[in-house]
Amino acid sequence: MLDRELKKGSAELLILSLVEVRPRHGYEISKLIEARSDGVLKFNVASLYPLLYRLEKRGWILGRWVEKAGQRRRRYYRLTREGRKVLAAQRSGWEEFVAAINRITRAESA
Amino acid sequence: MVDWKEEIRHRLAGLNIEPCRKAEIVDELAEHLEDRYSELLGGDATPEEATRAALAELSESELLARELRRVERTVTREPVVLGTRRKHMIADIWQDLRYGSRSLRKNPGFTAIAVITLALGIGANTAIFSVVNSVLLRPLPYPEPDRLAMVYGISLQAAQGKTPLCEADFLDWKSQNQVFESLAAFSTNRFNYTGGETPQQIEGAWVTSDFFSTIGVQPALGRGFLPDEDTPKAPQTVVISDGFWRRYLGSNPNVIDQQITLNARTFTIIGVMPPGFLFPEKETELWAAERLAATRRGPYYMWGLGRLNRGATLERAQSEMDMIARRVQDQINSPNRDWTWTSVSLAERIVGKVRPALLVLLVAVLFVLLIACANIANLLLARATAREKEISVRIALGASRPRLLRQLLTESLLLSAIGVAAGLPLAIWGIHLLVALSPDDLPRLQEINIDGWVLGFTLLVAAACGLIFGLAPALQSSRLNLNESLKEGGRGSADSSGRRRLRSALVVVEIAFSLMLLVGAGLMVKSFLKLQSVSPGFNPEHILTMHLTLPRAKYDSDEKITSYYRQIIDRVTAVRGVEAAGLSISLPPNNLEVSDSFSIEGKPWPQGASEPIVPIVSTSPDYFTALGVPLLQGRGFNATDQEGSPPVVIINQTLAERYFAGETAIGKRFKIGGADRTRNPWMEIVGVVGDVKYSGLEVKPEPAYYMPLAQSAWRAAYLVVRTPLNPAGLAPAIREQIWALDKDMPIAKVATMDRLLAESVAQPRFRTLLLGIFAALALVLASVGIYGVISYSVTQRTHEIGIRMALGAQAHDVSKLVIREGVALALIGVTIGLAASLALTRLMESLLFEVSTTDQSIFAGVGALLVAVAVLACWIPARRASRVDPMVALRCE
Repeated sequence: MLDRELKKGSAELLILSLVEVRPRHGYEISKLIEARSDGVLKFNVASLYPLLYRLEKRGWILGRWVEKAGQRRRRYYRLTREGRKVLAAQRSGWEEFVAAINRITRAESA
Repeated sequence: MVDWKEEIRHRLAGLNIEPCRKAEIVDELAEHLEDRYSELLGGDATPEEATRAALAELSESELLARELRRVERTVTREPVVLGTRRKHMIADIWQDLRYGSRSLRKNPGFTAIAVITLALGIGANTAIFSVVNSVLLRPLPYPEPDRLAMVYGISLQAAQGKTPLCEADFLDWKSQNQVFESLAAFSTNRFNYTGGETPQQIEGAWVTSDFFSTIGVQPALGRGFLPDEDTPKAPQTVVISDGFWRRYLGSNPNVIDQQITLNARTFTIIGVMPPGFLFPEKETELWAAERLAATRRGPYYMWGLGRLNRGATLERAQSEMDMIARRVQDQINSPNRDWTWTSVSLAERIVGKVRPALLVLLVAVLFVLLIACANIANLLLARATAREKEISVRIALGASRPRLLRQLLTESLLLSAIGVAAGLPLAIWGIHLLVALSPDDLPRLQEINIDGWVLGFTLLVAAACGLIFGLAPALQSSRLNLNESLKEGGRGSADSSGRRRLRSALVVVEIAFSLMLLVGAGLMVKSFLKLQSVSPGFNPEHILTMHLTLPRAKYDSDEKITSYYRQIIDRVTAVRGVEAAGLSISLPPNNLEVSDSFSIEGKPWPQGASEPIVPIVSTSPDYFTALGVPLLQGRGFNATDQEGSPPVVIINQTLAERYFAGETAIGKRFKIGGADRTRNPWMEIVGVVGDVKYSGLEVKPEPAYYMPLAQSAWRAAYLVVRTPLNPAGLAPAIREQIWALDKDMPIAKVATMDRLLAESVAQPRFRTLLLGIFAALALVLASVGIYGVISYSVTQRTHEIGIRMALGAQAHDVSKLVIREGVALALIGVTIGLAASLALTRLMESLLFEVSTTDQSIFAGVGALLVAVAVLACWIPARRASRVDPMVALRCE
């Protein structure tokens, strides 16, 4: 249960982080999440795309169809200026949150 | 391999989002699945396993649909082709509105012209209707106003009009009738109010005690009259208007029971009326209790006001009044039995006179709107031709005709809605303008405004307009012949003959309506010019007039009055710049104060005939000189014609011609009233003067006679001053002289004669101006209409014209061809319009002065004018047609 909530709350942050450096398409994003989390986090079509569309609607990321030579047409998402601000804010918020959780859980176990 | 898109589409079937967006999402998700599939296949999965795994990504497809629904804007589905599917009414209307507004936006030129035309038409209609509504339709501002009626005496011999009542009449009638719940009588009067900074003449009325309870309005402050306050012994009481209270008494809340001096007598204020109570005249500011004396049959000076019993009718009232009149005639043994009483509803009495003019204006402005509609319908028809392709494609794709018709109508209704939005501000401005321009004597002027009824009328008119100008083009379009219009390649297809006929018919209608308006306006203008060219009977330039009322308390004998008048004339004549000064109890052009009958010695009136009642005017000796009335025979009055010297009279030209035909009137004897008035002395006719209009410029010359003011003293008179200077500039010096003689003498109605003349024709001028404006507007719209149709027809016929020219037609042949087309339409329109005008102008009969409703010169002139305008309007298209290059015209086919 906790797993699901965490995933939902942090999903936006994950996606924004992944498109921070360069634009990526949906499949790439889902693969990266799965790979970098060593299979702990997994997004399928039904969970990933509505999220992408929501972020796009908010103006944090921008999707664009790109056709590269020898490749299929794909939709690449890049971080917008506003998305960058949101990412910074969410990232520090997340770090504070994790640190707080850590402080509590460590104290208990110590 | 599996068709990913099909799988995704299948799972998103229930999702209502914009089709393009949906396609995009399907594409993107399909890419994802394809990537997944390829990757799995690149590993060691079989195609079946890979497919299954890829589809597993969609496993939570309900979740996908739900999430997408949350993110994406869901839309009501719009068929790709408008009108192809039957759906909800509301959604359809919404869709039509959006489509309509898009198509209006796409044609800003057309939309602007249509909206401006409509806004003008609707604005003008709203403005005029708000006047009609406030003046004619809205009930009078009194409780149950339809029960209120005015009562007069009336002679059974139709020649004489309504006459006032005498006190005995009123009391008889009041005590015997059973139709009226309550009855009152009033007479208007000018009061001298002294006690303010300068003496003032205030318009007021003597009223009986039931006055306020009959009309149903009570004072806002204090009380109305008590039942016995109109008897001779009662203390004198007065109710004042809100305006008087504010202006002269500083809105003092403790004004009740205070005393004011009116006509040099003391009156106790018992009440203050609420603002906006304007009866019997809108200038009335004082209502003083009448003191009904005994049972005198004469003088006749009061008007009756009654409130009918609930359910009683004016007819019943009439039969009862006839009965009472008969009874009274028996009772007083009257030899004169040709009179009775009659009543007319108060609303009719107040607004009856302006009704014809307002109705004519309302009809006129509706005509203007109809012409505007015809023009817009023509524009829409032209556009329908251009849109034929669009509509054919939609029909071909399955749009039903009724649905298409509805869509086109929605578009025209949308257009008229915009017209209303733009027209209402115009209407408000127009009402301000109307109120500012309208003559002061237009009744209920101050009540004019826009209310719910006016708004309702406007919306109704606008909806009707939308249907009128939208229906014909829409019907035409939906009846399109698909085969033909789709076949005709890229070029806009030729105008169908039905549509061309419709366009021509619209122009004919426009011309007919404008002709009616122009005939109406022409008659009005001619009548007004005639009215203005009427000679008032004197030279009106350089004359200043004002009105003096001598308080009875101070001037209580004929000697005092006469002496005052003599001194005032001496003083005023001595003012620098005064050429002549005179006094008269009546003043042209429309201030007639006294009329009476007369007899000529040796010429008794035939048995049974009613004696003519004619103006009788008392004047000072120099009155004729001051006014500039020509002396035709004999002499004028002079200083020797005074009280005690032989009585003299001067008659006017009409009286001399009518009653002394073929003989000289000078030296004959004449007296006031009929044979029964034996106390009146015989007077010698000493002179004959030219006719002067005292009852309005429009009234035919009538007999009148003059008496010296010194031999028939009156306490009120107009001072007439002639000067070579600017007359208005003389007013202060004269006022100074009047107050030097008597500092309490109130002066009223200071005006130049030029202004009085202009004011006397203010109503005809106003309606002539308005009708003229509407007619001019109609003429412009109609010429634009005919220009549009002819010029469009030239464009359509370019090919034909090219052939004609290739076959040897000359430029002027072609011009003639085009102009002939326009003139033919104009002639049909003119013929129909002339016939309709003959029937319609009868409505205007009461508005015309010495002009027949079928005045040939106006009918012919207007007809010719319209044909000429039609020729002019065709001129430009004709020239364009004559310059068609046959090579170009033929090649472009």
